[in-house]
Amino acid sequence: MIEVKRLSKRYGSFLAVNDLTFSVERGEVVGFLGPNGAGKSTTLRILAGFIGATTGDVRINGFSVTDQSIEARASIGYMPESSPLYPEMRVREYLHYRAELKRVPRAKRQDAVDSSLQDAGLGDVDRVLIAQLSKGFRQRVGLADALVASPPLLILDEPTAGLDPNQIRDVRALIKRLRKKHTILVSTHILSEVGAMCTRGIVIAAGELVGQGSLDELRALRRPVAVKIRIRGEVVAARTVLEGVPGAHAVTLESQPDESAPRFTVDFTDPADSDAITERISQALHAAGLGVLELVPTSSLEQVFADLTIKKRPVEQVGREPRP
Amino acid sequence: MRGFWPTFKRELLSLVVTPIAWVVAGAFLLIEGLYFFVVLLSYAAEQSVVVGMGPAQMFFGGSVFYYFPLVMACPILTMRLLAEERRSGTIESLLTAPVDALGIVLGKYFATLVVFVAMWLPTLLYMMILAAYGEVDWRLVATGYLGTFLVGSAWLSIGTLSSAMTPTSTVAAVVAVVFILVLFLLGFAADKVDDGALRAAMQHISVASLLDDLSRGLVDTRKLVFWISAAVVPLIASVKTVEAWRWG
Repeated sequence: MIEVKRLSKRYGSFLAVNDLTFSVERGEVVGFLGPNGAGKSTTLRILAGFIGATTGDVRINGFSVTDQSIEARASIGYMPESSPLYPEMRVREYLHYRAELKRVPRAKRQDAVDSSLQDAGLGDVDRVLIAQLSKGFRQRVGLADALVASPPLLILDEPTAGLDPNQIRDVRALIKRLRKKHTILVSTHILSEVGAMCTRGIVIAAGELVGQGSLDELRALRRPVAVKIRIRGEVVAARTVLEGVPGAHAVTLESQPDESAPRFTVDFTDPADSDAITERISQALHAAGLGVLELVPTSSLEQVFADLTIKKRPVEQVGREPRP
Repeated sequence: MRGFWPTFKRELLSLVVTPIAWVVAGAFLLIEGLYFFVVLLSYAAEQSVVVGMGPAQMFFGGSVFYYFPLVMACPILTMRLLAEERRSGTIESLLTAPVDALGIVLGKYFATLVVFVAMWLPTLLYMMILAAYGEVDWRLVATGYLGTFLVGSAWLSIGTLSSAMTPTSTVAAVVAVVFILVLFLLGFAADKVDDGALRAAMQHISVASLLDDLSRGLVDTRKLVFWISAAVVPLIASVKTVEAWRWG
């Protein structure tokens, strides 16, 4: 459904997207992941036909975005990141306009608008002026717009950004429902969203592909670099046991002296071995007769990405960092 | 030309539901109404009566009060067309729909042209008032409106191009006013130039000489071609500008 080959985009001397190759098959729901500024929006805008690539080849539904731009764009329901809308229009009016712009035949337009309103949960506000909508409702109008022409492919740029937890849950549930009918590419900088919505993830950082794969493969990226432990027992005894575990290299006492159960942070020598080390820690404590009350891996996927990004950041981008 | 109708309808709706078109039309009709009143008074007092030039001809291009409201109204009607889409980001939704730049530019342009025509319609009443109390040569009135339509088409087109050149509406309006005034002054200064060819060229593009001809019922094809070109060329440039944005 999407084929991206050696895509690059340069803004002056700044390389926003660098030699990116990936594909999305029909029926997949793919999370497009990366920290802010990784080039996610730039890539999605190129896929959606809003901006041109510097080099590389992009095909949507078999159509080249440069040579068969109209056909490619007609295959996509694109939701831009900021959901730009016309404030002077009413929700239903706007969706009618968008449906006509996307060449939904006149006879089907009313139904198309009604079902997109319903799918996006906009039934109650269809006659409200867009200027009067909250951020969450605007996002939904953007979603309804992406859906209105029933395109085979949906490209959603950070659909949950700026929403409250309930709204985020609604959007995730909607995307789960939509995957029966559409191929979906959804960008996010929050890793847990991939687990919540997608069958596969593509990870980019500083414009380059960092990793891609199924959720399990992505989870493998998610290696804890340390573990937090709360123990029933003596501080000295516990420390001795922890320091004796192969692979644990720094044991730090975190708890105050008056706490009944001491807390430690144990760093791993090699995060790739995290599962084995965690297991050994648990077994060693158990063998020494110390009770394990809590055992919490302290790395998140976010941290992994932060590390990847810092390593991958090209020199020219360093100067663009905001100064503290 | 994909996307013409929906863009045209949306733009027209937008012009009608926002105050801009109403403010422009209201101010325009107020000024034109007062101007017409003054023209009538001066003819009634039999002052400054030009032979072969009745109040209707005076009304179309006879003084600065015909031009001034137009110079202001056209850029204000067009300033938001493309600039506002870029400022607010809606251009992203617009250009990722299966539409082309020609459809978008023409849809927007014709929406302002319709408002322009609607703005002039009430002035037909003035002509009816004239007809009720005197003689009106309706052929001259028709050519007067033709000239107005040609000038409006060209100036709105210049305004559309200005709006494509900048994401700021007010800058777009200023740029359009400057373009229009330069064109206006070049034609206006024609009489002050001695050189034959240059003078002919300047007269050719003069909006005053166009309306002068038309108000006397003289339809010069060369001038028509110029004014139609003056509408078409900026529109082509606007289409090219919109197409170039994806590489910007």
